Amino acid sequence: MNATLIASECEARTQPRVVVAGLASCFGCQLQITNAEAHLLEVLGQIDLRYWQLVSSEPLPDEYDVAVIEGAVTTDEAVRTVRELRAKAKAVIAIGACAVTGGVPGMAAAGFDDRVAGTFAGAVPSACGTMRAPKPVSDYIDVDFTVRCCPIDSYDFIRVLQSALYGSNHIEADRTMCGDCKRRENECFYKQGTLCLGLVTRAACGARCVNLGRPCNGCAGLSPDANLEAARATCTAAGVDPNRFDEALQMFNQAALIAAADAARKEAE
Amino acid sequence: MTTTAIKMDHLARVEGHGNVHVVIEDGRVETVEMNIVEPSRLFESMVRGRSYTESSYISSRVCGICSASHVVTDLLAIEHAFGIQVTDRTRALRELLVYGSFLQNHATHLYVLAAPDYLRKRSIFPLAEMDRSLFDQALGLKALGNELCNKVGGRSIHPITAVVGGFTHEITPDEYRALAEKLTAAIPFAEQTVDLFHSFPVPQMETAGDFLAMEAEGDAAYPVEGSCRARFVRAGRSFDVADVDDEIEEYRVDHAAAEFSRMRATGSTFMCSALSRLNASWDRLSKRAKIAAAKVGLRPPAYNPMLNNVAQAIELVDALERCASLCLRLADDEFEGSSAPVAFEVHAGVGVGFTEAPRGSLFHKLELDDDGRIVHASIITPTSENLANLEADTRLLAEQLVAAGACADEAKAEIAKLVRAYDPCLSCSVH
Repeated sequence: MNATLIASECEARTQPRVVVAGLASCFGCQLQITNAEAHLLEVLGQIDLRYWQLVSSEPLPDEYDVAVIEGAVTTDEAVRTVRELRAKAKAVIAIGACAVTGGVPGMAAAGFDDRVAGTFAGAVPSACGTMRAPKPVSDYIDVDFTVRCCPIDSYDFIRVLQSALYGSNHIEADRTMCGDCKRRENECFYKQGTLCLGLVTRAACGARCVNLGRPCNGCAGLSPDANLEAARATCTAAGVDPNRFDEALQMFNQAALIAAADAARKEAE
Repeated sequence: MTTTAIKMDHLARVEGHGNVHVVIEDGRVETVEMNIVEPSRLFESMVRGRSYTESSYISSRVCGICSASHVVTDLLAIEHAFGIQVTDRTRALRELLVYGSFLQNHATHLYVLAAPDYLRKRSIFPLAEMDRSLFDQALGLKALGNELCNKVGGRSIHPITAVVGGFTHEITPDEYRALAEKLTAAIPFAEQTVDLFHSFPVPQMETAGDFLAMEAEGDAAYPVEGSCRARFVRAGRSFDVADVDDEIEEYRVDHAAAEFSRMRATGSTFMCSALSRLNASWDRLSKRAKIAAAKVGLRPPAYNPMLNNVAQAIELVDALERCASLCLRLADDEFEGSSAPVAFEVHAGVGVGFTEAPRGSLFHKLELDDDGRIVHASIITPTSENLANLEADTRLLAEQLVAAGACADEAKAEIAKLVRAYDPCLSCSVH
């Protein structure tokens, strides 16, 4: 159903019911929600927060309107959880790089079985559940809204939550971060021969890291406009090894890279 | 036979996913398990083969709440391996970042996670109606901690500016001074926090385990960063952190995705925490922190793990004073050198980074090859160090509760308090 109608539908009953669930993550994005301290009560005043394990001991209810999901899907149990959340919620919001792209945990997707074997010396504790290669939430269920980056920006979350509750025509930007960075008049890292992923990363942060003197690591995920071949050529021209560029992309895009390679392989067959 | 099973699944108000299982048969505590079901993200395998330039950025993601500690500890390991000497100013900034992160961590733990237990609420939010001023001040202190990390690290979670050899960005002297003013102004509330948490009744118990904490060097202040020595307080056993593998043994159990730890020399379990640090370095606290501690009677030896909440509150006082002073000295350019990253050579080596994270002693050990790529990584986190001791203390508490004839609900509530007093960070412990 159209998520934007949630508020009007809920008005007659009560406030929209929201649950927050965490999968494989550092919990940083859930913390970022609490880090909107000055506005936390105003945000919470608009919703009926039914379940948030990090801050409350209320159990997961049977009915809710909005499910906020943090973290990558890394176990069979997590697959069941996201499917249940999707089945019950009218809107699903994926927050943070782990949920949106697979994020840093997604790096482990390459050579996953060997990594598991090496880490647990062959005896995976039963407490680990049935592990599977990390993937973003959207690989298993439809996601209505996303809040990008690692970690999310507290106020981005509030903006997206408002979109889910009240509706909005806002469409996520497709453009790359590089253009935003140029408009901020930052000195380009490629001028110093330093690798930066702003060339191909989706604009979502206002060049947060580059503004503070650090190259982009791509936490917002690849932009649909990204031209990887052109980016590799830029690297070569600036004296940066294009293999380093490919390697750096893995940090937040491993799941997408593996999926693209699988698709290319199938096509070749 | 009467069997009472206390199952606390999806333990709330802790960072990460965990359950506690206690089985009592005929008045005997048979099973006590910290069932840690947090998903394993395989960090140590993930960083293998990656360049040192990415290492701290990746391992920051072990944990959002103590990411500043993971970043600085990882940088220390790399610099140890490469033999890099950073400037005094960079050292001061790191101390500010690490100790500053205690403010948001302890304030979050004490008020958002732990306090609802004692106020008999499910979350902090009802506090807004019970005592709006306390609620606002509590969140205000947490916000101040975030502001400090934002200013120094560029972001409250996963700092941006701290890199190998130095910092990529610094705020202006006026911003440091403004921060110092806010930090100083928050001290009276931190002192009230000590009194408040002291006023919450806790069971009398004494852990059988040891206490691990950083050992201060020379006339250094209360140590959270900058020393390469750690000490098991009760055993009186002190060691250089380069030998951490000889001192701490990590082992696996089936009921936890995290590794457990014990002292290799004696097999004893141990606790690292604010309480451990107080036991190790009480005499190095700032004057106001010492007075706050003395007023509530918390001084070494203090072996009741439940008192860790009070110890954290005392650290808030110390951290506010120290961070305010660091900000003023940074504003007045009192430290030698600039914080711009120093030049260094990349070569093969092994390095150990060590800091006191908010929850206790944190170690990153990295082996790097000639290209600066990671050959082997070992991350030993405070919660992983604590789990075996927490399990032992839970058993102890359960036995005391059974002996006192407590009902299952009462036992559940008390055990939850104990677990939260340890302030476990389960995503850290599994990583």
